[in-house]
Amino acid sequence: MLGYICKYAPVEIFESMGVEMKRIEPNVTNFNQAEIRMHPNICSFAKGVLEEMMSGEYEGVILTTCCDSIRRLYDVLREEFPDKFIYMLDTPRITKDAGITLYEQRILDMIHEYEDFSGKTFSEEGFLNYIRGLQEQQQYAVKDHTLNIGIIGARANESIKKILKENNANVAFDLTCTGLGRKILVDENELLTAYTRGLLSQFPCMRMEQAANRDELVRRSAGSVDGIIYHTVQFCDNYAYEYAWLKDWLDRPMLLLETDYTRQSSGQIRTRIEAFLESLRPESSQPEKQKKGDKAMYVIGIDSGSTSTNAVVMDQDRKIRAFSVVRTGAKSGVSADRALKEVLEKAGITREDISLIVSTGYGRVSIEFADENVTEISCHGKGAHYFNPKIRTILDIGGQDSKAIRLNENGEVKDFVMNDKCAAGTGRFLEMIARTLEVSLDELGAIALTSKEKIEITSMCSVFAESEVISLIANNKEKADIADGVCHAIANKAFGLLRRVGMEPEFMMTGGVAKNPGVVRAVEEKIGSKLYICEEPEIVGATGAALYALERV
Amino acid sequence: MWIADKYIDHVKEQTVEHPGDSWGKMLLGFKANKFRMKLLPNKNLSKGYQKLETMMMSLVADSLGRPDSYVWGNIFSPCEIIKCFGLNTLSIECLSCYFSGYHLEDFFIDYAQNEGIAPTLCSYHKTFVGAIDSGAVPVPEYAVTTSLSCDGNLNTFRYLEKKKRVPFTFLDVPYRDDEASVEYLAQQLKDFAVEVERRFGKPFDVEKLRESIRIENETRKELMRFFRLQSERYYPGELISHLYMMMGMHLMIGTQEFLNLIRFMIEDIKTYPKFEGKKILWIHLLPFYQETLKEYFNTNEKYQIIASDIIIDSMEEMDETKPFHALAKKIIRNLYNGSYSHKAEMVGKLAETLHPDAVIQFCHWGCKQSSGGSFLLKEKMKEMDIPMLILDGDGIDRRNSHDGQIKTRLEAFLEMLESSDEEEHAEKETKKIC
Repeated sequence: MLGYICKYAPVEIFESMGVEMKRIEPNVTNFNQAEIRMHPNICSFAKGVLEEMMSGEYEGVILTTCCDSIRRLYDVLREEFPDKFIYMLDTPRITKDAGITLYEQRILDMIHEYEDFSGKTFSEEGFLNYIRGLQEQQQYAVKDHTLNIGIIGARANESIKKILKENNANVAFDLTCTGLGRKILVDENELLTAYTRGLLSQFPCMRMEQAANRDELVRRSAGSVDGIIYHTVQFCDNYAYEYAWLKDWLDRPMLLLETDYTRQSSGQIRTRIEAFLESLRPESSQPEKQKKGDKAMYVIGIDSGSTSTNAVVMDQDRKIRAFSVVRTGAKSGVSADRALKEVLEKAGITREDISLIVSTGYGRVSIEFADENVTEISCHGKGAHYFNPKIRTILDIGGQDSKAIRLNENGEVKDFVMNDKCAAGTGRFLEMIARTLEVSLDELGAIALTSKEKIEITSMCSVFAESEVISLIANNKEKADIADGVCHAIANKAFGLLRRVGMEPEFMMTGGVAKNPGVVRAVEEKIGSKLYICEEPEIVGATGAALYALERV
Repeated sequence: MWIADKYIDHVKEQTVEHPGDSWGKMLLGFKANKFRMKLLPNKNLSKGYQKLETMMMSLVADSLGRPDSYVWGNIFSPCEIIKCFGLNTLSIECLSCYFSGYHLEDFFIDYAQNEGIAPTLCSYHKTFVGAIDSGAVPVPEYAVTTSLSCDGNLNTFRYLEKKKRVPFTFLDVPYRDDEASVEYLAQQLKDFAVEVERRFGKPFDVEKLRESIRIENETRKELMRFFRLQSERYYPGELISHLYMMMGMHLMIGTQEFLNLIRFMIEDIKTYPKFEGKKILWIHLLPFYQETLKEYFNTNEKYQIIASDIIIDSMEEMDETKPFHALAKKIIRNLYNGSYSHKAEMVGKLAETLHPDAVIQFCHWGCKQSSGGSFLLKEKMKEMDIPMLILDGDGIDRRNSHDGQIKTRLEAFLEMLESSDEEEHAEKETKKIC
């Protein structure tokens, strides 16, 4: 069995020789092998392929010169497996005749080398018969009465499609690397030339010179769907250019989704995709839930975050009757039970009085007593609109992530961006710094307001920033000034998110960090506008969840 | 890249507030700096490096002052062909460095990232995209890029073609080194010459290209002579001097002016004292702003960078009778093209010629082709018994280079070099006694 990764690989050549070809789709839990053999800043896909090769039963792999990371992957694999058929196929970026001639030559060379390696032989006749028998594969599949989603960008693994399917969305097309059906040109008179031409005339990827026609193809494809997931891979930079360009003119809701080919980030990916689908679905399409009793009506929204678990009891008149905020412990389920117990006590009601419970937040799926769950992004949108209908842009900085959400006048989410798997600019980061400065988290914000000297924290990574703070302490800088510098560093990160989502006033800040006056001031300075902050900024998500519950009773 | 600090701050402030309105001031600063270097050169530097700095400042300041006098390129673009039309090549990597003279790299990088450009992309490309996309820097009429040596090239130029309408020629450099590749690239180079001829309405004279290749061959030989001398004599330079040398070898190679400079440096270095310290062969980019590295490698009699692979990335003797094929071969055999073993081999050759005491590779943030093979190069150096240090950081964005980490790694490495020296010395002593 030979592995391959790229749509330009001449898979059918090998198949006609009786070789089993397997597209490598890494789905790994770690990069333990890659970290020993490659630098960490290499594309996650390349690292994933290395892990897969180290564990899989491949006699070799056909790589193409598609990008810098794959070029280096080849070098590492060659070193690692001198006895396997590790082949680098030099694939031109020009698809005109000169490119076809060169590529055909390269493919012939490869066939000879594989014949020498394997003892198998290639025959034109066998190849012709093989490709004649291939069925044309379907490229597009738009379905009626459901959400149609298109995927564009860097190669996407199956997990994205799986999440879409579980949420009853149809993948209408997948224009990423190997997502489209293969295009085989058959011409007896110039068998290999025609085949090569067919390979190079596939939907161009970003490494090809002619990627300019992508715009037209993307425009046409996008017209048929409700939304686009634009997928990028961590440390693969090619596709971000296209996203930056498309977002200015493509007339379709688009979600930028970065993955790293490990299973670790699946929770975050799920939240993003589900929130995106929620923003595309009209309210009426939500399934109706049965009322759970016929007395006075109460619902609960519960938001299970990484730092706090918050619950809100709401009555049928959309009034908040009680709320609770408890610290999330090691088990989110236990904290949710506590938050529920507390909020019921405060409201003076019992579990039986509740008609419906909607959960949200990272732990939303682990709350067993919840009837439904909705992502925290949609809930924040709804909650923010409830507190102040003028809000169009929300900045939510929580314990482990931060996000910016743009709303329309009805409080529906129109766009959102989240920071990636990184503590920079989050509540955790503030906690870390507060510990280093030996002040409490509450004090940190307060003393920042008394700062006299402006200090800039330049490191973007929270680990580096912590060392930078330690150096500042060593240089005898004032705590207040360092605290203020840290608040500004968070504000800079937040500003980036807000810019990406669009800076439409008015602004609201939610999440635990909204209680920090230092950060609030720094963000306000940066955006040149006031932030609306409600009395308890940690319950906005739970309030939104309660509102969802009310709508469904 | 010294310009009065207050002026730098003023220009930075203006650019951040109103990108586009401050270009005149930026340009004025570059021009002023050029005259300052001529009149008041940096006395700590050797004369050759002073002249080199002035020459590179002039190239940038003079070209930017006349937008019809230059094209954008990447560092591997064929400046020899462009020069035949009397045009200069300004590479986007070098321009980014010059913009960072105004400490604007953070603003430009953030600008690009906020537009959606990947944070993990090379910071040189991000700085450049931000500078152009924000409107802070005007654009020329034409551009050219090679696919060598990074994925960013095609994509950056294509992005700017779409957003700012700067048309460009893309030269696809094949990975393999064989006849078919040379033909394929040579034809593209010929087509490129025809395209420039058409666009700028100036005739192409192949004789000029031949002359430029003759000079280029001579320059490369002379440069190796200079490197050999630099491994023997203390010739005060700075981290940035090596970047200027890289710039010259890529944007001015083939000109008599640059050859004359190298010849001057050869004569000049002979007047300097013997170098007794540690000789470092540097791999890849140099973060010219980095405090600790400046402390150890700027005019330091104990540690001298004697050469870098980015300066002499091509060692090809070129055949002037077939100039396009010669250029194609040079680009294809560049040490940044092809497999990493090709690079390791070329670095190995350089090490055999220059006998460095150690190799330092700087893994620049976002540069996959360089970082990706660093472990393999270390293996190769191990075989050759040359100690090698891998440093991580960023060639331009200060926020991605952590001084504490770089300092610890570098100092530990230098301590290691010193102690192995002592050991050797002690061994010899022991042998003598025995």
